[in-house]
Order: sequence, then structure tokens, then C-alpha cells
Amino acid sequence: MKSFHVSAGSTFSVALFSDVTNSRELLELMQSAKMEPEVALLNASLVPDIFPVLAAAHKALVSKSRESLTTRTLHSELVYNYAASKHISESLKRCGISDQMSYILAVRFNASDDEMTSVTNLINGKEIDLEELEPRSNRDQILKHFKIPPQELAISSLSDAITCRIAARDAL
Amino acid sequence: MDTCQTGQAELGLLIKQGAEARVYLSSFVGRKCIVKERFSKKYRHPILDSKLTVKRLNAEARCMTKARKLGVVTPVLYGVDPVLHTLTFEFIEGHAVKDILLEFGSNGIVEERLNDIAAQIGIAIAKLHDGGLVHGDLTTSNMIVKEGTNQLVLIDFGLSFTSTLPEDKAVDLYVLERALLSMHSSCGDVMEKILAAYRKSSKQWSATMNKLAQVRQRGRKRTMVG
Repeated sequence: MKSFHVSAGSTFSVALFSDVTNSRELLELMQSAKMEPEVALLNASLVPDIFPVLAAAHKALVSKSRESLTTRTLHSELVYNYAASKHISESLKRCGISDQMSYILAVRFNASDDEMTSVTNLINGKEIDLEELEPRSNRDQILKHFKIPPQELAISSLSDAITCRIAARDAL
Repeated sequence: MDTCQTGQAELGLLIKQGAEARVYLSSFVGRKCIVKERFSKKYRHPILDSKLTVKRLNAEARCMTKARKLGVVTPVLYGVDPVLHTLTFEFIEGHAVKDILLEFGSNGIVEERLNDIAAQIGIAIAKLHDGGLVHGDLTTSNMIVKEGTNQLVLIDFGLSFTSTLPEDKAVDLYVLERALLSMHSSCGDVMEKILAAYRKSSKQWSATMNKLAQVRQRGRKRTMVG
């Protein structure tokens, strides 16, 4: 588990899990809004590096502070922002978790240690180090989802390409 | 956009002010960044002003991402804020090509480095133009050579637009030519090296080159009508 300062006064805690067995249960909890504590669950194969997630988090916080969230909660807003697409339900489906998913990134804003511990207990899986993000990411899936052309790859990392798209989504 | 540093209030440390925007140094989730704020023109009607500024902001963000997709090195965009009228980019460590060429002018030219920079400029502009993007403000202060990798980075897409017209591309090159002539004539014929690289990398260079000859003759923004 790692913590980042996303903006003045707000922290962001991140934990990576592999071999998750109860994704269906987690999905049901999320959709019925009964998840305690509230946490954002991302499809970790689409995350090559933590930086784009931080950019999406920053954006979500700004929207929240202006009362202009596009989705219902701060955490779902993060998933929506990460997808870099304007299509809300499609984004939540693709970048969030699905039934059979076994590799999940869990993130929570302003989480206390206790809350993060309960998140770890909630997810039936093995917590692994964030260093595993890069080798375990699905490069082809990322290239396809974010539509990254080979010319761009030649001059940029996957992380930077995704961050650009997250930032510019609303300008397009 | 929130880390307070010495100087200006929320946006960061003011490092430059231009005709259209102010540039601040700040940090974004721990990374050094640049915040570019397009300020409002007080002489405009407020509603119009806001709409125009946001439109320009979005156009700049769009052109930068388009340039990246074409394989042109630009700073990574970290965020766009339509309310504060700001763009947040990665901070590029390195010197502007302008400063490097000025140094060559006063302390002697490093031939190899000059050739490398000129070639990179030509290739970058060729990629932009072939992709239908015109930079709009090609000057040596809008090009940075990244420290360490010596990679050329193009910045400031605030005046860029999409166009496939050879006229627009020729004017784009002409602006650069004039800038080089006025500031860096002591470095020799840099433009020729840039154009050589441009011709090699671009697939549509001949139409643009012909137009460039025409533009040179008459100067720019003269459609010779009426």
C-alpha cells in the first residue's frame, strides 16, 4: 500500500492485488452502493504506472471541489477519468472491474490506516508491490483501449500517453 | 495547480509573461510542472472573453495531443482547467534552441550539435505538416533541447491550427526563416539544413517548397487579391 499527496490536504492510498477470487462479490457491493469503506477498483492490467491514476485522481478532486462531478461519487469519477473517454458507462465497465477479474488496483481518497486495512480484508487476493504494475500490465490492451499509434510510442512512454489523454479528454 | 511557492498566489512561481499568457512553475502530484494561464483580455465583453479563452485553451490541448500522435515530441499534458483558464504541462529540463544558437553565435559553433538540432527541427516540422497540423509560431524560443537526451521538444501550440494547404505550411516555415535570419545569422545557413531534413522526411514537400519560394518573394499575409 502506498500513499500520495494529490493536492493540498488530500491524500490518495493505492494497493495492488493479484489472484483476486471475489471480484463478482466486489462488483455487486459497488453497484448496490453498499461498499464500506468506499473504494475505487480499477482493472490493473490497464495501468502501466501509477502516474496516470494520480492525474485522474487530481482531476476528480478538482471536479468535486467545484461540485461538478459527472458520475455519482468521487471514486467512480476517478475510474471515469482514467478511461479518457466521454462515454461514462463504457468507461466504468472497461476500466473498472468485471466478474472474472483477478488483478485489481484499489484506490481510496483520504484513507486512514484502518480503512485501508479493511479494504485489504474485503478483497480476497494477494497484495503485491506497486512495482509489479509495469510487468503485469497488458500492453496490447492498453494500446487498443487508448488508441495509441506506433508513432506516439516511439517518442513517449505508455504512462505519458495515457496521462495526456486523461488531461485532454474534455478539450477534445 | 495548488502547491504554493514564493511569488504568485495559487498557481505557482511566475517565470514568464507573454502577450497571451503567463507561465508559472509549480508541481503536479510531486512532479515539477509548468502552468500556463491564458489571461482574460479586459477590453472584451466578459462572456465572450471567457468563451474565447476556453476555446483557445481547448484548441491548444487538442493540437498538442494531435502532435504527439503524429510522433512529434511535446511536453506531456498533465491537466486542463477551463475555470482557471490554465494548462498544466511537464517541465522540460534543457535550453531553448534560441539560447543554444545565441551561445554558438558568441562562443563559436559546435558543428555537430548544430546539424543535429537543425535535422531534428526539420523532421519535427515535416511530421506536423504531413499530419495536417500547422504550428503557427515557429521560432527558436518555442523549441527546447531536452537535457541528457538532446531530444528536440516543440512547445507553445497556442497559435496552431489544422490545415493541409501548402500556403499555410509555407508561411509556417517562412516565420521560422525570418526568425533565424534576424536572430541567428551568425550561425550560418541553419534554415538550409532544416529544409534539407524537411524535404527528406516530408511526403508533401514539393508543393510546400514551391509555395515557400512564392511567399519569400512577396512576404506573408498578402494574398494579392483586390
